[in-house]
Amino acid sequence: MANDRKKMFAKHMEIKFTKEHGTNKMEGGKITDMVGKYYRLGVDQNPRKLEMKKAGQEIAKKRGLVGYNPMMHCGGIPLGQRALTPSFISGTDMMVEIDDLHYVNNSAMQQMWDDIRRTVVVGMDLAHETLEKRLGIEVTPETINHYLETLNHALPGGAVVQEHMVETHPALVDDCYVKVFTGDDELADEIDKQFLIDINKTFPEDQAETIKAAIGKTSWQAAHIPTVVSRVTDGAQTSRWMAMQVGMSFISAYSMCAGEAAVADLSYAAKHAGVLSMGEMLPARRARGPNEPGGISFGHFADIIQTSRVTPEDPANVALEVVGAGCMLYDQIWLGSYMSGGVGFTQYATAAYTNNILDDNLYYNVDYINDKYNGAAKTGKDNKVKATLDVVKDIATESTIYGLENYEKYPTTLEDHFGGSQRATSLSAAAGCATAIATGNGNAGLSAWYLSMYLHKEAHGRLGFFGYDLQDQCGATNVFSYQSDEGLAIELRGPNYPNYAMNVGHQGGYSGITSAAHAGRGDAFAVNPLIKVCFADSLLPFDFTAPRKEFGRGALREFEPAGERSLIIPAK
Amino acid sequence: MAYKPQFYPGATSVAENRRKHMSGKVEKLRDISDDDLTLVLGHRAPGSDYPSTHPPLAEMGEPDDSIRQLVEATPGAKAGDRVRYVQFVDSMYNGPSVPYFRSYNAAINFRGVDPGTLSGRQVVEARERDMEQLAKFQLETEMTCPALSSLRGATVHGHSLRLPEDGVMFDMLDRARKEGNNIVMHKDQVGRPIDKKVNLGKPMSDEEAAKRTTIYRVDNVAFRDDKEVIEWVHRVFDQRTIYGFKPMNV
Repeated sequence: MANDRKKMFAKHMEIKFTKEHGTNKMEGGKITDMVGKYYRLGVDQNPRKLEMKKAGQEIAKKRGLVGYNPMMHCGGIPLGQRALTPSFISGTDMMVEIDDLHYVNNSAMQQMWDDIRRTVVVGMDLAHETLEKRLGIEVTPETINHYLETLNHALPGGAVVQEHMVETHPALVDDCYVKVFTGDDELADEIDKQFLIDINKTFPEDQAETIKAAIGKTSWQAAHIPTVVSRVTDGAQTSRWMAMQVGMSFISAYSMCAGEAAVADLSYAAKHAGVLSMGEMLPARRARGPNEPGGISFGHFADIIQTSRVTPEDPANVALEVVGAGCMLYDQIWLGSYMSGGVGFTQYATAAYTNNILDDNLYYNVDYINDKYNGAAKTGKDNKVKATLDVVKDIATESTIYGLENYEKYPTTLEDHFGGSQRATSLSAAAGCATAIATGNGNAGLSAWYLSMYLHKEAHGRLGFFGYDLQDQCGATNVFSYQSDEGLAIELRGPNYPNYAMNVGHQGGYSGITSAAHAGRGDAFAVNPLIKVCFADSLLPFDFTAPRKEFGRGALREFEPAGERSLIIPAK
Repeated sequence: MAYKPQFYPGATSVAENRRKHMSGKVEKLRDISDDDLTLVLGHRAPGSDYPSTHPPLAEMGEPDDSIRQLVEATPGAKAGDRVRYVQFVDSMYNGPSVPYFRSYNAAINFRGVDPGTLSGRQVVEARERDMEQLAKFQLETEMTCPALSSLRGATVHGHSLRLPEDGVMFDMLDRARKEGNNIVMHKDQVGRPIDKKVNLGKPMSDEEAAKRTTIYRVDNVAFRDDKEVIEWVHRVFDQRTIYGFKPMNV
C-alpha cells in the first residue's frame, strides 16, 4: 500500500501555514518545510483577537473594572509569539478562528448539548394500558392526536387544566415540542404527520426495517423541553418537567379527574417506568443527575449522532462525525468544564475535528483494509475480517506508523497538533475506528486504540500528559475482560467508566470507535433504536447528521440557537 | 552469571542511544559551573545556602526502623532541603533526548527523584541539591543540545514546532539565544531575567544531533525500520491484553 497518496490535509495546511491570515505574515514556503519564521507579532496579527482586545477595553471602561487584557499573559508577552493561524473544520471547507471553537464562543456547540440534555424518550404504552384497562377509556389514533396537540401546548409551559395560571411565553420556548414514533406502520399512518417521526422516511429502507422490528408495536414520545428551562436547571430536570406536563395533558385530553389514583400511575410511568434518559445518573462523588454528559454511554452517544442514516456507505465519515461531536461534548464540555473547570481543553479536542489530519489517517486505513482484507472496510456484515489480535496488531500498527510519519514528513501537521495529547488522540482514533470498521467489533477497535498508544510512545519517546501513563498503559488489560469494574462492551462504557473519568482526548475517540463498529456493519443503531429515532428529527435546532459542519456554522456565527432571551431584555 | 541489564531492544542508533540514556553511560560534552546552573534553575541566588524545610535528619531524633536501615537518605534529604524541580523541553527535530528517556535516566541512575513525563516537557522533582546533581548531569552530557533542548519551568511550547533559521528551538519567552557559536541563556527556567548571561555551549551540528538522538524519525532512523522494537511493543501489548482476558494463557 503506497502511502504517498494525496494527503487530505494538504490544502488546509497550505492555506493555514503558507497564506497570510489577518496580518500574521504566514506567507510562502511549503508545508514540508522544517524551518519556520517567528515574527512575534502578538495578538494584533489576528482579527478575532483584535476584536476581543477591543471588547475587553470597552468593558473595562464601561464598568470601571479591568477585564480581558492580552498583555496580562506571561507578564507582558502576549499570545502570538508564533503565528496565530485559523483552522478548517474537517470534512468541510469552513475556515474558522480557533477561539470560535470554544463552546462559549460557539452557539452550535451549546445547542448540541442543549438538545441532548433537554431530551427524554417516554413510552406511551404504559399510560395507554392504564387508561384502557383500569379506567375503561378508549384510546384511539384520534385520542392520541388530541393528546399530542394538548401536550405540544403544555410541554413548553401552557396551562391545560387549572384557571388563573402563569404560563411561559411561547416565543421564549419555541424549541420545545414532542413527537411520537412507533414500529407499527398502521398506527404511524393514523398519527397526524406533524407529530410523527416517520422511520420509513428518515432512515434507509434496510435500517428502517431493522429499527421497526426492534421497536415493534410499542409507541414512544420524543420529548424536548425548552432549552431555557434546561439551562436554568440541569439535565435531571428534563424528565421531571416532561412528566409533569405529560400528566396534565393526559388529564386534560382524556377528561380525567385531576386527583384520581390512576393519575399516579401515569406519573409513575412518565417519571420512572417508561422514561429513557440520554445519560445515566452519576455516583454521588460526581454529583450529577441523569442527562448530564458524564452519564451518556458511548453507545447512546453513537446513536444520538445521525450520520449513519445519511452516509451509510461511508462508515469512516460516520465515525469521524461521532469523534468530532464526542470530543466537543465529552472533552470541551464534560471534562473541560464540568470536571476540570479549565478553558484550554478546547485546544486538545479540536485536533480531532479540524484540518483533516485524522480524516486523512482514517481514509488511508480504509484503503489499506480494503486492499489487504478484501473490502472489509466497506459497509456490510459478510465482508468483515475476524477480530483477532493479529488483525488488531496489523491494522493498528500500519495506521499508527502512517500517522506518525505524516507528522514527520509534514512539519506543519506536527505544528498544528503541537501537543502529544492531540497527536495521541488522532493516531489512536484512526487506528481504533479503522479496526472497528474492518471487524465490526468495537472492542477490537478499542484494543487497537491501546496498541496505537504504545507504538506512539515508543516511536516519539513521548505521549500525552501524565494521565496517559495510566489510562493508556493499563487500558489494554481490560479490553476483553468482562469482570465487573474491569471490562465492558465499549457500547456500554462511558465517561465515568473506571480510568476514563480524568483524561481529555479519549472519550470522543471511544464514541467514534463504537459507531465505527456498527457503521462498518451497516447497523441501523449501535445500542438503542429509541435514541436513534428520537434524534432523527430535522425540527431540532442542531443538525445531528452533520455535527462538524454545525460547529463550523457556529464558529462563523451563522448558527441560529434556541432559548434566546431577546424578547425579555432591553433592545440594544 | 551476574545479571546484565539490557535496558531496551532494537538494532538502530536510536535504540542504542536509548540504552545509553537509560544506563547513564552517556558522553560528557560540556561544563556548566555550579553558579551558572543555580542561575538558570532560578530557585535561589548563586552561593546562597539551600533553604530547608526541616532540620538535618541527624538532628531530628527519628526512630530507628528497618526501612531507615535499608535505605540511606539522599544528601538533600539528610540536609532537609526543600523539594525543587528541573524541567526540560526537547525538540522533536532530533533533540538528543525525549521525555521518557530523561525520566528513565533519572529513575534508574539517581535516587530520591520524582520524574514526570509529558509530551512537550519532562520534569524531575527532588530535594534541591539532589535535583541539581541530576540537572547538571543531563545538561553537561550528550543528553542535551543547548539549541534543541531547553530548561523551561513554564510556558514550554516549542517541542513540536519547526525550527527557526538559527536552529534554536522556538521559545515564546525567548530564554536562550544563539550568540556567535554558542547558546546563551539570559532568563531563568520560568523566564525571569538573570544577572549575567550563562553560556550553555555549542549546539550540535545537524549530523551530530541525528547521530545522538533518541527519537525515531522517518528522515533519520524510521520507527518502522526498527523491527525488534515493534516486535517488543507487540509482545507487551499481547501480554497485557491476554492477561486481562485469560491470565492462564500468558
